[in-house]
Amino acid sequence: MDFNLSDEQRAWQMKARKFAEEEIRPISLERDSISTPRETWDWDIIKKGSKLGFRTMAVPKAWGGQGTDFVTQALVMTELAKADSAISKAFSQNWKWSHLISASCTEEQKKRFLPAFVADDGWVLGKGITEPSAGSDNRMPQDDPKTGIKLRAERKGDEWILNGEKAFIANAPVGKLFFIDVRTDSTVPPRQGTSMFLVPSDTPGFRIGKVFNKSGWRFYQNGEMIFENARVPHANIVGEVGGAVKKAGGSGGDTTGGDLFGDLELCANALGICDDACATALKFAKTAKQGGQPLFAQQNVQLQLGKMYMLTEALRSFVLRVAWEHDKRIHSANAGLAMNYSGDVANEVTELYMEIRGAQGCHMDHHTDKILRDAFIWNHLACDSVSRMKVVRRLAAAA
Amino acid sequence: MYSLQLSPEQLEIRDTVRDFVTREIKPVALKADRLDQCDRTLLVDLIDQASQMGLRSLALSEGRGGAGADALTSCIVTEELAAGDADIAAVLSESSRLAHILFDQCMNDAQRDAFLSKFQSGDRYHLAFAAREPGTETRLGINYHRPADLDVAVKTTAAKSGGDFIINGVKDCVANAPVAGLFAVLVQIPGRPSANVVLVPADAAGVSVQPEKSPWQHGTCGAVIFKDCKVPAGNLLGDDAAAILAGTATPGRGVPLAQALALGVGRAAYEAALDYAHIRVQGGRPLVEHQAIATKLGEMAIKLEIARAAVWQAAWASDHPEAVADRSLADLPLTSIAQVFTSEAVMRTAKDAAEIFGAMGVMRDMPLAKYVHDARVCMHSGAGNTDLRLRVAEEIAGYRRADKRAMALAGE
Repeated sequence: MDFNLSDEQRAWQMKARKFAEEEIRPISLERDSISTPRETWDWDIIKKGSKLGFRTMAVPKAWGGQGTDFVTQALVMTELAKADSAISKAFSQNWKWSHLISASCTEEQKKRFLPAFVADDGWVLGKGITEPSAGSDNRMPQDDPKTGIKLRAERKGDEWILNGEKAFIANAPVGKLFFIDVRTDSTVPPRQGTSMFLVPSDTPGFRIGKVFNKSGWRFYQNGEMIFENARVPHANIVGEVGGAVKKAGGSGGDTTGGDLFGDLELCANALGICDDACATALKFAKTAKQGGQPLFAQQNVQLQLGKMYMLTEALRSFVLRVAWEHDKRIHSANAGLAMNYSGDVANEVTELYMEIRGAQGCHMDHHTDKILRDAFIWNHLACDSVSRMKVVRRLAAAA
Repeated sequence: MYSLQLSPEQLEIRDTVRDFVTREIKPVALKADRLDQCDRTLLVDLIDQASQMGLRSLALSEGRGGAGADALTSCIVTEELAAGDADIAAVLSESSRLAHILFDQCMNDAQRDAFLSKFQSGDRYHLAFAAREPGTETRLGINYHRPADLDVAVKTTAAKSGGDFIINGVKDCVANAPVAGLFAVLVQIPGRPSANVVLVPADAAGVSVQPEKSPWQHGTCGAVIFKDCKVPAGNLLGDDAAAILAGTATPGRGVPLAQALALGVGRAAYEAALDYAHIRVQGGRPLVEHQAIATKLGEMAIKLEIARAAVWQAAWASDHPEAVADRSLADLPLTSIAQVFTSEAVMRTAKDAAEIFGAMGVMRDMPLAKYVHDARVCMHSGAGNTDLRLRVAEEIAGYRRADKRAMALAGE
């Protein structure tokens, strides 16, 4: 075992830390308080970060990216999330899908999309899976052909005609290119009848509907996608027709596709929230006073802080182990378990932080309020029953 | 005899308020547009309607125009109101609580003559207790089980000037301040050994209110500034009023209204989740038929039932001191106990309820995000749970502190 970071990993971590402190933190609360969900996004920060490589760092060097390893990616996600969890996610969402392009697209598709993505500081990626009537059903596909994705495509010559909608899609309102899961055969179970398409935002017949108004992760936008006779070339199918679930990682344990990266992404990001909560709580406990003494003088505050740090450091070990396993191409369910764990930890740590913040008896400040709301996002993504069962089924399948 | 058999009147008022909440409050308070904007503007028209139903003067004695509701009835009503809107519940329960304390327990006949008819006739005439001052320590914290050597002097002064008091000072975090018609103000009269309470009409010259707009509160609160504010000397309440109002006369035995409010929030979240679990189909079955969801719903019901038992027991003890005296109920700070358990139960319930809604559980235009936030606020209303555990501990450890110190602590 070697816990040392390489010089390169350390350099990325430091670069991310500096960018987070100097550029992200100063705008974090301001972006969070914008009440119109369509206006929370800030292209300036995205473009600044892009110039430092934070948008393209998962693209292989051969394609013009920085080709960082998973450990580096985990370190950077955590550092960025310390200053703003949603802004960190806005960057890493691109890595998730650049992994997918690298792993699953043809050379021709890579040529069409990767250089353009790398060159454009304002180009972000997204993937559409969830639909209004298919949330958990997509995460744990059923065998009944009537369940799951309803967005359908019919082939007409060299094109597919898409009709239907997606909901809650990350980066939908700002993305230039999306991976979209579509039913290409409604007579077979969704697992076999779903295909993945590359859909550029300017595709005729495709538009973005409402932007969802989330309580946390304000910066990072989720939107509706509407397909009305949207025409997508057959050349934009990722892999085979009917191969979407397999390509996205699914239960097959693909450590380079989007799905498992998504697990690492959530736990590395949660770690950033926890780091922020710990550091802020410790500073607060040492400076804020109650009864004429620093809060830290109280046994209860010490115990609360101890628990925050204990959970956070345990999560860090887990996150880095998962990233390391990804780099070694070791297949396991650990990424999913770490993701589940990160939801529990992020909630508990931010709630302990809230308790310490309240130890003087005043209202919570905006920062506390924000990280509580951000951490709560994990409850429906990372540590809900469906996520937990999905992971344990992956574990059982591999056993 | 300790009994939780509700009277026909209690059952009737519960049903009446529940019906009012369903028909009138929920359609307005939970309107998607309002939730979407995190708009927590106080719904004053609905509060007016509730006032006309008698809910503003619920605890005031019948002879003085109220319903004479006891603590248990007040808690039942507060839970029902909070299931519709925690802010409405907070404003009404504070006015009702203070109406009983001020008009039935603290005022003399002349004072009642001066203020009771205004309270009776004004649906927007609310009551507020202005006690806390900026920088006041409200936590036990480091002073657990230690004699505190703190400056607990009330800085707002009431100086006698002929037949009047001249009040100067600043109060903050005063619940109901922006809607109050009458303030009971904790003041220091120079030369007196402890603080007193003076009645100050909100429209008296020299009184100004600055609403405090924080999402971390229920109801409405604000700072109250007194600048050479002159009130008749006859507005001074008796020496015991300060302790009665602050709840230090019977620590841990007050009316558990904040606890009932939390319970209402939890119940609203639970009911929303239960309804949705019947409608939403995933995995080929309604959510309610899935083991994982069923366990969460079951746990919510268990937690809320136990919380209600704790709240009702505390309410009963508040109504029946003899039940503690004859050892029917434990001689413990039952409201503090109910607060800790209820707020944590409600927090868990709201989060689990939101999870059942999936992504919709974190969207602002759905009620769940509001319930989760409201539950977080409940965790910090009054003293906060870390502190309440210490207060319970001081009781069971047999530690007694002087009233003067206890006075400065936040209510439960």
